[in-house]
Amino acid sequence: MVDQNIHSSSVGTSFQRTDLKDKVLGIAKYTADLSLPNMLHARVLRSPHPHANILSIDVQPALKMAGVHDILTPFNVGVGKIAPDVPILDTKVRFVGDEVAAIAAVNLYEADTAIDLIKISYDVLPFSTNIDTSLEMGNLKIHAHGNIVNGGPIVEARGNVEEGFGQADYIVEDSFTTPDHHPASLEPRAALASWDGARLTMWKPSRGIHADKAILAAALDVNPNNITVIGPVMGAGYGSKDETRTSILAALLSIRTGRPVKLELNREEEFLAGRRRHSTSTKIKMGVKKDGTVTAVHVKTVMDTGAYLSSGPGVVRRAGQGALYLYRCPNVKYEGQIVYTNTPTAGSYRALGAPQGHFALESLSDQIAEKLNMDPLKFRLMNHVGPEGQPGERTTPKNQIIDTQPVEGGVPFSSNELRQCLILGADAIGWDKRDQIPTPTGPIRRGLGMSMFIYRGGPGGQSNAEMSLDKDGCFTLNVGFMDVGEGSSTVVLQMAADTLGVLPQMISLNSGNTDNTPQSPMTAGSTLTFSAGQAAVRAANQLASVVIEAASEAIGLADTEGLYITPDGVCSMSGDGVKFADLANKSGLLKAAVSVTPGSKDYIVNSFGAHFAEIEVDIETGYVKITKYVAVHDSGRIINPKMAKGQVRGGISQMMGFTFLEDMEIDHSSGVTLNASFLEHKSPTIMEYPEIEVIFADSIDPVGPFGAKSLGETPCIAPAPTIANALYHATGVRLNHLPFTPDSVLTALKRLR
Amino acid sequence: MENHATKITFKVNGEQHTLDIDNRFTLLDILRDRLNLTGAKKGCDLGECGACTVILDGKAVNSCQILGVKITSSEIKTIEGLSQGDMLHPLQISFIENDGGQCGYCTPGFIMGAYPLFESKTNVSVEEIRLALAGNLCRCNAYGAIIDSVVGAIGIKVDG
Repeated sequence: MVDQNIHSSSVGTSFQRTDLKDKVLGIAKYTADLSLPNMLHARVLRSPHPHANILSIDVQPALKMAGVHDILTPFNVGVGKIAPDVPILDTKVRFVGDEVAAIAAVNLYEADTAIDLIKISYDVLPFSTNIDTSLEMGNLKIHAHGNIVNGGPIVEARGNVEEGFGQADYIVEDSFTTPDHHPASLEPRAALASWDGARLTMWKPSRGIHADKAILAAALDVNPNNITVIGPVMGAGYGSKDETRTSILAALLSIRTGRPVKLELNREEEFLAGRRRHSTSTKIKMGVKKDGTVTAVHVKTVMDTGAYLSSGPGVVRRAGQGALYLYRCPNVKYEGQIVYTNTPTAGSYRALGAPQGHFALESLSDQIAEKLNMDPLKFRLMNHVGPEGQPGERTTPKNQIIDTQPVEGGVPFSSNELRQCLILGADAIGWDKRDQIPTPTGPIRRGLGMSMFIYRGGPGGQSNAEMSLDKDGCFTLNVGFMDVGEGSSTVVLQMAADTLGVLPQMISLNSGNTDNTPQSPMTAGSTLTFSAGQAAVRAANQLASVVIEAASEAIGLADTEGLYITPDGVCSMSGDGVKFADLANKSGLLKAAVSVTPGSKDYIVNSFGAHFAEIEVDIETGYVKITKYVAVHDSGRIINPKMAKGQVRGGISQMMGFTFLEDMEIDHSSGVTLNASFLEHKSPTIMEYPEIEVIFADSIDPVGPFGAKSLGETPCIAPAPTIANALYHATGVRLNHLPFTPDSVLTALKRLR
Repeated sequence: MENHATKITFKVNGEQHTLDIDNRFTLLDILRDRLNLTGAKKGCDLGECGACTVILDGKAVNSCQILGVKITSSEIKTIEGLSQGDMLHPLQISFIENDGGQCGYCTPGFIMGAYPLFESKTNVSVEEIRLALAGNLCRCNAYGAIIDSVVGAIGIKVDG
């Protein structure tokens, strides 16, 4: 346990995002902003076919062009892989946009001209752009091992759902689907590679430079000691950005040409060859007694992973966690299956399956409440999982860390303020006057809806931190994680500063270069604040001891009794003291290094929340306007309120794209993505940004550093079901298929009449 | 390359430049690749995201949609020209104070998009801000803080 009584001067204040000044000045350097002398520019030739074998590639006419230096094809690259199902380049292409060849030329115009001269002979194969076709067509194998990942679904269960449904007075079931949802970060993927004959330096937007280094080393068969990965400022991750061939192709071109090579994807390529949120199809069934007690939950989800698996197994598991754990229930079962199709690849995108899973679960929950003739909020207050966790027996051995995504019962949460979230949100939105909201006549129909969520996060992988007192009397916090644009480096700095007892301005955080930072897990799954924060707190604690020990020697004291750290240096009760700069000069480099395995053997560490929305539906146009939105989150203690508020407001607005607008339109006759641009793939803008009230529950987690839990992805889980439930309240129409475009709202309204 | 080149003279952030440029270069390419002014970003290169917004002769434009050969005799202001040494522009200060950027990739575009509003107004309504920035995408969706930032720099118009 971390000492919660540490004096806090920065934690809990809105300390300025550390890199924001460079960003507003326009001097923050992103990967595409970097250039090297003698640099070549690369372009990728992509498949026009959704599924085909490449028989031959003639690169000679292109190679003869004066400005062209090299062309990579499946026939001249090594056999390395960047993922089990993704070779460097493959003689088989699996979606329209799949990488076929890569060219390095003196500039992009030359590269584009030359790329048109590359002649490819394809053997075109039957293809599938949807799950049903992939499952039905026996002669269609997108990967050698078949179209169902691992041959079948993952199955997670507690108790016995058949028995649970047997105890139910009512059983309600329904089906829901969610779209191919693209993060479309404004910064397209890019990579700058420089090979000097012995050593590779790679600049790339990265969620994990150390993980990227390992992937590069394995794929290229280069000793990892000869690879440096540098992560410049990142034009946002949202859980995406790695996993593609971009950096490998740049690296190989640099190794083969002996010149630096920059590869920037354009917007269309980012849509096609980036990673999208998995589209899903979910069948959900819940049983309740007449008094409202939930007796069983059974969910089956099938996910479309597109051409490659990427983060699919993690995503499909998380899609089930709401069903398994949000409602107190002894009998639950989740079956999650992943299927390959010949479409752009799905991967990890903010909240990883939880939005899809909660859309089905929280929509159905309102349907059950209606069946029971019970207020939906009351139904949730009655059945939400409490601080004690789920009923049942703990199965994890006592001396082992509890999974943050458990199935077993009998384990309490470290903190669970879901009930507080429900009550605070209901109060802020005016839920008690809900019956007066609907307008049964006229073109504008008003409604009020809500939903709740649970999310894993917090404990991540082994986290390291190093901290030192430097010659100038300032401190360096050395970490291997990456700030992906969400501000993790700022909150970790705040925690280290308060632990040590100095101002955050006195600490410089060093990250982003594999040569001089410790190993760290990827910035993924909302684990940074909790896990890297815990490592930073321990490193600062250890450094405080080292500094005080050195100070007692420097002052000439017999022991460290009565010595304490001030923002300037170390003082004793009797008034003696030594400034940090003097101490650094006398004692040499003072440093600490820690490695922590975040997590708890006694508790589940999860975050919670409840969202509420008041909307107006124009039944003549199908347009939905949000008039008031309230989001209440239990993320433990909030380290930086202003940044946290921005994270929540931004997450909700981002998911208004998922809810109302965004889908990758794939033509089923050709496999072509029809809307791979911001013009045709509409995303939320400042025009429709709604007023969002953010409330943080009064919560201090006993396990998390400074009482903090995870926040990053959690705002993205509840928006869609909240709006779905408000839409039903406003119009009497339940929409089970996202996104709720004006067209789909109008169609549903017509069906009702 | 010579046969594709044109000599152009223009001003960026008050400084005069005369360059032989590739006719295919856009203003964004010239800023980024020839002048190393990388504050304007290439988010789409199609005029659909606003990340490349700069001021061209007083107007906010998508610099990726302006051919380089068309900017002769023009005056261009970029994000790099907004601050005077250590003195940040009020918009920049307000974007910092209101946490108006997260990943920051869209931030220079938003600030330059709001710049004409700052120059022409002593106070501004939220609706005017929304309209001025309707062509700028922020995928972090920091729109709430961006509105706060522009209001903070210009001042809010009070009804009546």
